[in-house]
Amino acid sequence: MPTRVETLDNGLKVILRPIPDTKALSTWVVYRIGSRNEVPGMTGSTHWVEHMLFKGGGKLGKGDIDKMISRLGGKMNAFTDTDYTMYFETIPAAAMDTALMIESERMRNAAFDPKEVEAERTVVISEREGAENQPDFAVEEELWGLAFHVHPYHWTAIGYKQDLATLDRDPLYRHYLRYYAPNNASLILVGGFDPAVAMQHVREAFGPLKPETRPDPLRLSEPEQHGERRSDLERPGPADLLSVGWHIPAASHEDTPALVLLSTVLGGWRGIVPFAAGDWRPRSNRLYRALVDARLATDVGVRQEMKLDPALLIASVTLARGAALDRVEAVLDREIEKIQKSPPPKSELARARQQVRAWARYEQDGVTFQGILLGAGEGLGSWDFGETLLAKVEKVRAEQVRAVARTYLVDEHRTVVRFHAQEVPA
Amino acid sequence: MNLPDRTVLGNGAVLVSHALPSNPFIAFRGSVPAGVAAEGSDHGVAEFTSQLLLSGTRRMSAAKLADRLEGIGATLEFHNGEELLSFQGRCTRETAAETVRILVECLSQPTFPPKEIERVRGELLNDLRIEADDTRARAFRQLSRLVFPKDHPYGRDPKGGEARVRRIRRADIVSFHEAHVGPEGLILAATGDVDRALLEDAIAAPLSRLRGDESGPPAIPPPPPHRPGSESIPMPHKTQVDIAIGAPGVPRRHADYYALNLANLLFGRIGLYGRLGRNLRDDQGLAYYAFSGLDARTAGGMWSISAGVNPANLGKAIDSIRSEMDRLRTEPFTLDEIRDGKDNQVGSLIVSLERNAEVASELHRMEYYGLGMDFLERYPDIIGDLTGERVRDVARKYFLPSASSMVVAGPVGRARFRL
Repeated sequence: MPTRVETLDNGLKVILRPIPDTKALSTWVVYRIGSRNEVPGMTGSTHWVEHMLFKGGGKLGKGDIDKMISRLGGKMNAFTDTDYTMYFETIPAAAMDTALMIESERMRNAAFDPKEVEAERTVVISEREGAENQPDFAVEEELWGLAFHVHPYHWTAIGYKQDLATLDRDPLYRHYLRYYAPNNASLILVGGFDPAVAMQHVREAFGPLKPETRPDPLRLSEPEQHGERRSDLERPGPADLLSVGWHIPAASHEDTPALVLLSTVLGGWRGIVPFAAGDWRPRSNRLYRALVDARLATDVGVRQEMKLDPALLIASVTLARGAALDRVEAVLDREIEKIQKSPPPKSELARARQQVRAWARYEQDGVTFQGILLGAGEGLGSWDFGETLLAKVEKVRAEQVRAVARTYLVDEHRTVVRFHAQEVPA
Repeated sequence: MNLPDRTVLGNGAVLVSHALPSNPFIAFRGSVPAGVAAEGSDHGVAEFTSQLLLSGTRRMSAAKLADRLEGIGATLEFHNGEELLSFQGRCTRETAAETVRILVECLSQPTFPPKEIERVRGELLNDLRIEADDTRARAFRQLSRLVFPKDHPYGRDPKGGEARVRRIRRADIVSFHEAHVGPEGLILAATGDVDRALLEDAIAAPLSRLRGDESGPPAIPPPPPHRPGSESIPMPHKTQVDIAIGAPGVPRRHADYYALNLANLLFGRIGLYGRLGRNLRDDQGLAYYAFSGLDARTAGGMWSISAGVNPANLGKAIDSIRSEMDRLRTEPFTLDEIRDGKDNQVGSLIVSLERNAEVASELHRMEYYGLGMDFLERYPDIIGDLTGERVRDVARKYFLPSASSMVVAGPVGRARFRL
């Protein structure tokens, strides 16, 4: 799709994707700051900062963002990832200036009123406590904590409760000032606009903002894992869970396209970002057949965590009542062994490729989804990450799928978390 | 936007469509009146049936169906609801004919293999356990029972409970399917990369092959009277408490619907959850989420409040919700609030229909509730005609603490709470 890219003098990268017959506009700003840029004792600060950027500052009073977008019938939100933070508004295209003004104020002028910071402390703790109610959150936190000992992927973006309880306003504000600057961000517009006119409005809104000294690149890298790591959680819950994570390289690595097809053959594909797929679950894959069809599990999924730094490929299983964790693990091992021994047959690979192709199309449904895809791509290095990846996936050969299974899905590089559901207390 | 196309096929099925050329694929949403309301006293059979429709047809096994659909890059899902068995999917122009053919086959020729029935039974039992361990699902399940008592289809668990799931037999599923799944009352809405030729050849032609017995959809009885109650569900192993508060609302075609919808928007939805969110989240920091909702169906509806809080803040949160409900009487919605709400509803026509799948859902809703294909054209006037007084009146009439039930689920001990 035609996409125009320009960079302002202050370093702000602007990505414009006009869609002539739509009346909606989605504006996204991606900041190259995520929980990977946090340090112990300040976990969760990036996410907390994200919350604070809805509370006004500069030309915006508390509640103004909410009010302005609501009046337009728009939608807005923000997401904090390990690698980046994104903010968006989807509004009628005629109101472009409103979104640009909100985002330019948000970039440099957030208020961080101490009273508001304090009120938000319990909101972010409440967000975490809501997640703690779900057993799979405990499994996820344990898995990353165990798989990463050095790199900040050790903690999840929500952060630890003890840090959220003690963090102060000033370090949060410094975190904001350091990372929220035009030269550490990309602005994305998708929708009904003329690119030349839009660019003029973008310059007016963002041109005056001053760049910051660029943050130092992250120097931490995870040492190679030598030997399997395991954890057995015993807690009240409704079903046993199994989660296995294998170390895989960063999203930019040349093996990523083959890993996409490996993930798809094992557990199906639901797109690069999971929003478009909703509740749909793939069934034409090896783990579904081996575990769900065989009534050992009621749900199974494979997630290839594509990140800036080396991350994990994760297989997650919800066990059927009566199925034993050992048996399910053995079946999973058998399936991994099979793909390591023989490359997937032509028909299976064609089906996997077709799924990736189809989701590349379905993920383009509307201006908001296109915005998130461009934004997530930009967070990983380039707005066209999705398109480039698809082109590379088209060229992957069956033998390469087997090769990445052999290279990465090895026991000494994996972490296994087993959730043994205990009887729920009455 | 141009008016959507509407075609009634010879077998009674209705096809509605709208072309959105910038979307490079087709999204579809559809339904047949074979939801919980159709199952009578055979509780759980509608849900069981819906989960088996991708489990094999006369021509294809479950595995072959999955391979074929995913092999052409299409998606197809079936879901059970209180009134409808719904289906939805995505495909391209090139794969539309085959996708709809598979849909029709799943609807008309499912074989319900015994092995698949046992698989689904296991999944349903696991789902019931997972829902029973989920504070929000528990609170809302119980709230629905209180608001729609006496096993009304809107109030009971669509899965029917563990005992029913264990008892349902293949014969129950086959006879439910035969009685309720056919072209009668079938609606299919398709949007995106569609045109007349494609609709006729790839969608209408296979749909026309569905055969039925010309029986109408089952009538849904009005919900029995609601007797407000309050319940606590102790779940000591959880960190957070979920609060669910609700009361009967109105059917979708009720005269109060639009005013009530606007009142609900202002009370607990607009922006970061309206007045409710402003108080509980923004001002007091008590909850990550605190919002209200309005369900309006054929024979009734419910408005509700949902909030997740730390147990130490439970009393304070309930008091704050109560004070916001009382405030509707002492400080009714201002003219500014009502103007903002109306602007939001009219403006959201553009934003809420930006996606193919959203347009398909809206077209389906328009047809199902008989709103007319010109509904979206008329909508701004409908909202424009609402007076402030009307909106305040319905808020006072329906959002009444004394007429509401409340359920709290989580680490609440044995203490009882009242709204």
